[in-house]
Amino acid sequence: MDWLTHPLVAAFLLGVLVLVVVPGVCSYLIFLERKIAAWVQKRHGPNRVGPWGLFQPIADGLKFVLKEQVVPDHVNKILYFAAPSIAVLTTLLAFAVVPFGPTTDRPNEFSWVVAPNVDVGILFIFAIGSLAVYAIILGGWASNNKYSFIGALRSSAQVISYEIPLGMAVLGVLMICGSLNLEKIIHHQAQGFFSWNIWFQPLAFLVFMTAALAENNRLPFDLPECEQELIGGFHTEYSAMKFGMFFLGEYTHMITVSFLLVILFFGGWHFPWIAEMAPQTVGSVAVKFMVLFAKVGVAIVFIMLIRWTLPRFRFDQLMGLAWKVLIPLSLANLLAAMVVKHFGLSLWVLTAANVGLFFVPAWLASQPLGVVRRKVQRLESGELGVVEPLYAD
Amino acid sequence: MDHELQSFLPIFIYLVLILGFVATVLIASHWIAPRKPTVVKDMPYESGMDPIGDARQHYDIRFYLVAILFLVFDMELLFLYPWTVSAYADQGGVPTGLRNPVFIIMLVFLATLGIAYVYAWKKGVFEWR
Repeated sequence: MDWLTHPLVAAFLLGVLVLVVVPGVCSYLIFLERKIAAWVQKRHGPNRVGPWGLFQPIADGLKFVLKEQVVPDHVNKILYFAAPSIAVLTTLLAFAVVPFGPTTDRPNEFSWVVAPNVDVGILFIFAIGSLAVYAIILGGWASNNKYSFIGALRSSAQVISYEIPLGMAVLGVLMICGSLNLEKIIHHQAQGFFSWNIWFQPLAFLVFMTAALAENNRLPFDLPECEQELIGGFHTEYSAMKFGMFFLGEYTHMITVSFLLVILFFGGWHFPWIAEMAPQTVGSVAVKFMVLFAKVGVAIVFIMLIRWTLPRFRFDQLMGLAWKVLIPLSLANLLAAMVVKHFGLSLWVLTAANVGLFFVPAWLASQPLGVVRRKVQRLESGELGVVEPLYAD
Repeated sequence: MDHELQSFLPIFIYLVLILGFVATVLIASHWIAPRKPTVVKDMPYESGMDPIGDARQHYDIRFYLVAILFLVFDMELLFLYPWTVSAYADQGGVPTGLRNPVFIIMLVFLATLGIAYVYAWKKGVFEWR
């Protein structure tokens, strides 16, 4: 059994495992989402295929394969096929460095990651994740359809805008942990309940989650799809399996985002007294798996509940939230983390700074014609600036 | 091969696996699924109307502005990553003697970013009306 522990063989086996499990989990997540939607709206949801509708995902999967593949005449063939492939490729590839089970910092013990010890970890995820915008823009462009085109334009603007707060919000976490490696970030938090990053970076968590939802095109940020206005946005002209691939990409992205939320802010597989850093036995590995999956499950259900709770944003509100709110907030959070680390203050000062950073701007903005809002209005009306606007309305 | 590069090998194996997966899905579904094209099916879908004009039209300059601004901020972000990881790392980070100068330098760097941000806001890049 010596060859089994060779890193490349392990990577191959884990890769196959991920490729088998993730699409299955995705199809059942879609089922879960439909059930949750039904319960929120006092309906039954899918309940015809099998007991409680449990075989619905299998029927859906069969339909993806067996239904007609419409490839319209007016599309750009190569890009049209490339777009869904990129959607699946990038989201699945980003999963390579995400630890989906117990990890260890001791040599000769097994870490449940496809590619263990990649030191650029989270940077790799962001790099690959930002390639996902190509799937959307190519899909919209190749479809040669007005709905697709508008959806793709909106979506690319949205995705690139929210990438900045997404990347900036984790900087504070990285500064606390001193590493980009996701396993090391978990190990840093595994020292105890109160070394989880959520205690010191609640604002960063909020910004990260908002930006991640927007990156994922989930409600309340699903303007690229916008069923009522754009019929489906960039995938209007896609049918059968290629449409299924876009969906697979979206739900894989959601899984990755949930794992990242748990790993960056909630200690990964760590839970006090239940799952500690102790040497791995079969029992503790099983417990760590259960803890991690429970946390990720809560994150996923939370994201789904958000979808059925909040209405969709308007486009100018969406861009305003990214550029005028999230970016300054995450920059201020970075400054706070920097000052706290430099002067060696307690990390709880960072908590206070985070809470303050959340409530003080919120209070200022809620003031009717308060200081900040008046300032912003004067700024935008050009009363203060000598800078000419780039275009006339 | 040194250790750093070796840790990327599993990613390539995984990449090959995914490429195989995607190619199989695309080819198999193309091969299994029926295909009966008609004139109407091949038209662009516009809610049942006959399509008017071409889809590839002019679009708003604001999308370009956001893209340019994104490049600026994303580059800044790329510079920030190595600094955040190494600045206060317990081992192998910035040497203790250099931490004060680095702190000042980063403050200036972030101030520059702030000035660019205020300038863009004044220019009206964030306005979507």
